[in-house]
Amino acid sequence: MTADQPISVTCTVNGETQTLEVGAGETLLQTLRRRLWLTGTKEGCLEGECGACTVLIDGAPVASCIQSAAAVDGRDIRTIEGLSDGERLSPLQQAFLDHAAVQCGFCIPGMLMTLTALLEQQASPSREEVETALAGNTCRCTGYQQMVDAAMTAAGRERA
Amino acid sequence: MKVVGSSVQRSDGEAKVRGDAVFGADLAVPGMLHARLLRAPVAAGIIRHIDTAAAKASAGVRDVVTGADVLNERAGVAVFDNPLFATDYIAYEGEPIAAVVADTAEQAEAAIRKVELTIDAETPVATPGQALMSDARMVHPSWAEFGTVGGIDFNRDGNIVSQILLDPGDVDGAFKRADRVIEGVYQTPRQYQAYLEPKMALATFEAGRYTIQVSHQYPFRLRDRLAQVLDVPKSAVRIVGHHIGGGFGAKLDLALEPYAAVLARRARRPVMMLNNPEEERLTAPCRENATVKVRSAVLNDGTILAQDVDVVFDSGAYANNHPATASIPIFMFGSIYRVGTARIRNRMVYTNTAPTGAFRGVSGPYLVFAAERHMDQIANELGRDRREYRLAMLAEDGHKMLNGQALEELSILHKAFDLVEERAPWAEQGKGKLRGVGIAAAVWLTNPQPGQATVKLNEDGTLTVVTAATDSGSGAVTTGLRQIAAECLGISADAVTITMPDTDVAGFDAGSQGSRTTHVAGRAVYDATTGVREKVIEKAAAMLETAKEDLVIEDGVVHVAGVPEMSLGLADVAMAATFSQGPIAASGSYTTPPPPHDPSRTKGMLFSTWPTPTYHVHLAEVTVDAVTGKVTVERYIIAQEVGRTINPDAVKGQVLGGLAQGLGYTLWERVDIDAGRYVQRNFESHGLPLACDMPEVEFVLMENPEAAGPYGAKGAAEPSIVPVAAVIANAVSDAIGAPIDDIPITPEAVLDALERS
Amino acid sequence: MRFYRAHSIDEALELLSEWGEDGCLLAGGTDLMAQYGRGEIAPGALIHIEGIEQLSIISSGTRTQIGALTSHRELAADAEIAAGHPALASAAGLVGGWQTQAAGSLGGNICNASPAADLAPPLLVADAHVTLTSKSGERRLALNEFFMDRRATARRPDELLTVIGLEPLPPGSAECYLKLGRRGAMDVAIVGLAVRLSLAGDGAIKAARVAVCSVAATPRRVPEVEAALTGTRIEPDALAEAGRALAEAASPIDDARGTASYRRRVLPGLLERAVMQCGEEIGR
Repeated sequence: MTADQPISVTCTVNGETQTLEVGAGETLLQTLRRRLWLTGTKEGCLEGECGACTVLIDGAPVASCIQSAAAVDGRDIRTIEGLSDGERLSPLQQAFLDHAAVQCGFCIPGMLMTLTALLEQQASPSREEVETALAGNTCRCTGYQQMVDAAMTAAGRERA
Repeated sequence: MKVVGSSVQRSDGEAKVRGDAVFGADLAVPGMLHARLLRAPVAAGIIRHIDTAAAKASAGVRDVVTGADVLNERAGVAVFDNPLFATDYIAYEGEPIAAVVADTAEQAEAAIRKVELTIDAETPVATPGQALMSDARMVHPSWAEFGTVGGIDFNRDGNIVSQILLDPGDVDGAFKRADRVIEGVYQTPRQYQAYLEPKMALATFEAGRYTIQVSHQYPFRLRDRLAQVLDVPKSAVRIVGHHIGGGFGAKLDLALEPYAAVLARRARRPVMMLNNPEEERLTAPCRENATVKVRSAVLNDGTILAQDVDVVFDSGAYANNHPATASIPIFMFGSIYRVGTARIRNRMVYTNTAPTGAFRGVSGPYLVFAAERHMDQIANELGRDRREYRLAMLAEDGHKMLNGQALEELSILHKAFDLVEERAPWAEQGKGKLRGVGIAAAVWLTNPQPGQATVKLNEDGTLTVVTAATDSGSGAVTTGLRQIAAECLGISADAVTITMPDTDVAGFDAGSQGSRTTHVAGRAVYDATTGVREKVIEKAAAMLETAKEDLVIEDGVVHVAGVPEMSLGLADVAMAATFSQGPIAASGSYTTPPPPHDPSRTKGMLFSTWPTPTYHVHLAEVTVDAVTGKVTVERYIIAQEVGRTINPDAVKGQVLGGLAQGLGYTLWERVDIDAGRYVQRNFESHGLPLACDMPEVEFVLMENPEAAGPYGAKGAAEPSIVPVAAVIANAVSDAIGAPIDDIPITPEAVLDALERS
Repeated sequence: MRFYRAHSIDEALELLSEWGEDGCLLAGGTDLMAQYGRGEIAPGALIHIEGIEQLSIISSGTRTQIGALTSHRELAADAEIAAGHPALASAAGLVGGWQTQAAGSLGGNICNASPAADLAPPLLVADAHVTLTSKSGERRLALNEFFMDRRATARRPDELLTVIGLEPLPPGSAECYLKLGRRGAMDVAIVGLAVRLSLAGDGAIKAARVAVCSVAATPRRVPEVEAALTGTRIEPDALAEAGRALAEAASPIDDARGTASYRRRVLPGLLERAVMQCGEEIGR
């Protein structure tokens, strides 16, 4: 980790309160992956463009690779590991499986976090709204259509 | 059929949506050290001095290694030109020069910056054009001394890495008889694979053997190549594969693995390496930039008497696998259309740029771009309708390709044109100002390279398939192979477990490339499962005291046909077998035999046939913005033949994904080179397609079961990328009334062409 | 490196005066953390100001006051911004993806002084002024004076940008922001253009403000074009004349996203499109 002055951060991660000593320049992605072993959040472009590292902070999707860890003191963080209710997948996770929206899977945690935020804020989005919400999440495998189909199903707006 | 043809879910799907799936980049083992590479900061130069003293003294550093410290023989897949470390000269920006191992990746990174490098930068040989000039500097002055696989000559010559020439000898005469000669030059850029998971390798050295944990598309090639560069027997290397965060061809050869291996042996500790995003961008084996010149000898009635095709492509600083695939142009011209005779020359050229390599549809996208732009050009010059002209020139079943191989099922392509026409009548498409339509067709192959599988019947009646086939996302392993085994035995796909690749455990498999897994590995699994099935029937017949011929297996139960109460569960059969004659297992091996062809036409080519062909027609409608020159794809139709569909949703996912990559290649992605260096150096400027960029896609799936394939399956994953650039360029050219013969089709190029028209 | 959480403006100013150029304000940090990760910057201290609630307030009146910490997402979604500053709201929705919009702040975007800052043209046509506060006092500066050069602003190291004041869209006016990128989203603008237009009762252009980004070292107003438009009608000749003036006034460069000549070339057509769009809006 960095030789920076450590700073104490208290936040909730997937509902659990965590108090951590993080480096001054540490990113939230590093904290999640290296200190909490939440490796479901992926390290992609490291410049906040690809979306693979997306987590929710107070319900909003954020690129954790360019998010200061020290800055999340007092905030609520959700990662892919917190999406399911124990054994039961979230409707969105299940819809991704049902629509074969998963290929290599590296973008999937970020995709699911962004779409979870969307469906929490907007229960019944249009396809176009889903596509716009996904602008910050890149997938190289699927061409996106099955992902958008899955989001529509999870929102109860399955195509006729 | 119960399992084949249904959209079974991938076995790794749940782990992937939960974030539980462990990708190579997620790996960690106790005591592991971290290594980073010092990479060349310039495209070309002479290395005068490398001073590692300060790096060695840096905090946490365990070891610093240069070419002077390790075996550094030049090696390669085809031409042995590539050393581990540059020692005397730099051949491309990003070439490894030194490696540092430290306790943390940050310490290794800090130490790398302390290596003092004295370089005399040289003017790079930046383009194939420069490389081919008579007074060009040799990218590799000692090229003539490089070894090659099997001692094959490849017609190497200075900066020419290899060249093929197919010349039937009657081409020039045909040009003399022609009413007109139509000529086009088609230029295409590099394309970066842009998988999201960076390349990595985690190496350990134990008891004289190297173990590499990695996310890799082709573990057995990795084993063989490591054995080559480490100068150890193949059996001294073990490759253990993990989930792959995308590859698309970029993870088929060596990358970080040999460095991790060498460093792990020296440190006697596990060594982890992970590229950062900029290293990926600088060193990925992009699809090669190419220039294709096509001349056609044409009669006024449209007959093509001959074609003369000259391809030059940029191999970058090293040969990679290119000499092996250099013959692909002979299958992309004169195959689906009748062109009389044809001369094909293909030269691949060294430059001081990152080595290019394999990307989905290896060379197909630019060859079909050239071939199908050229068809539009001929039709336009003759005043013929572009679709009607294609249909007039389309060859029939049994038509011989330039290698003498007959395409027995070309009528599938006629059918594909018809199916597209039903959905989008040609006469009604592309009407209106700055609106255009394009169509293109292609034949693609199914990679024939070998695969092996062992299938075990477990004592609970389930199956385990042991294979080194890899799933870099397509689902070919995690759905396709499981479905084939399940169907064959008569159980559900859920009752089939499939292994991750491990070269110590599974037999040879040629990896995820060229749509081969479902067809080739699938056939091996089918044969192995057939063996298991026979043993089950034999044992059950003995247990039920009935004839083997009377038994069927359905839903995991063996019973006498028509007498369901005379039955045994597979678990009972398995248990009984295991503790009487021994566990039930069987193996299968397959490689597609080369189709009959004329070897005299393919002398010196490593790749001389076009096995298990599949057929494709794409149509697109586009609009063009008169102010900005931006192209919008309004409609896209794909008719694709797959033999037999094992998993409809998975096939659709492959087709849509390949299309997205093709649209990116054609319209948005940029990999420009300026004086040997990449211009776009971050994620944003590269310009990958986004969800909002994708058009509505209509997919017409065509089935035509193939005898050798498992349940008739051919390859399906790769080819949807192949015709895209051609179709879009044809549509844009139609929309603006001026030819677009270069990609990417930048808005600026569109405005230029609009001005000309 | 040290990390400080400032809970009030006074605390932030104290830290800024202590650390000077070696202190970096963290407000969203979407650019800052990426630059730090690449080793391009090595500040002595990060001063985290996201906890200063005062800096996130939006108030309307004769002039709209927007706290510097307001996120892009808030700008895009706020009803008052949508009514008084539709071009700003639309530009905020075009910056990167949702992730960047949720984290990135208005003040951060301005202080970064990217030549391609999407928010800048809409701010410029709304006559934006920034308030810079330091221990020695407060000063207000027009945004076009604030931008000095590529990635350079008039902010002194001890100053905090606290609020941006804007003139809301007057009656009989309309504005829009047009962004040209290669793809449907996520691109750094190849060209960005904001137009605010007021029409007289007879349809003549009473006032025109035009600002651009990605065609000069800083985002900027283009008075030559504004003058060319003012007093004319929305007609082809007048628009063509203004378009020529815009192309002449631009000083773009070649970069990884587009060439200078392409940028110059699309400006007239985009201007025409923007003016027409404003005209239609007013006519409605």
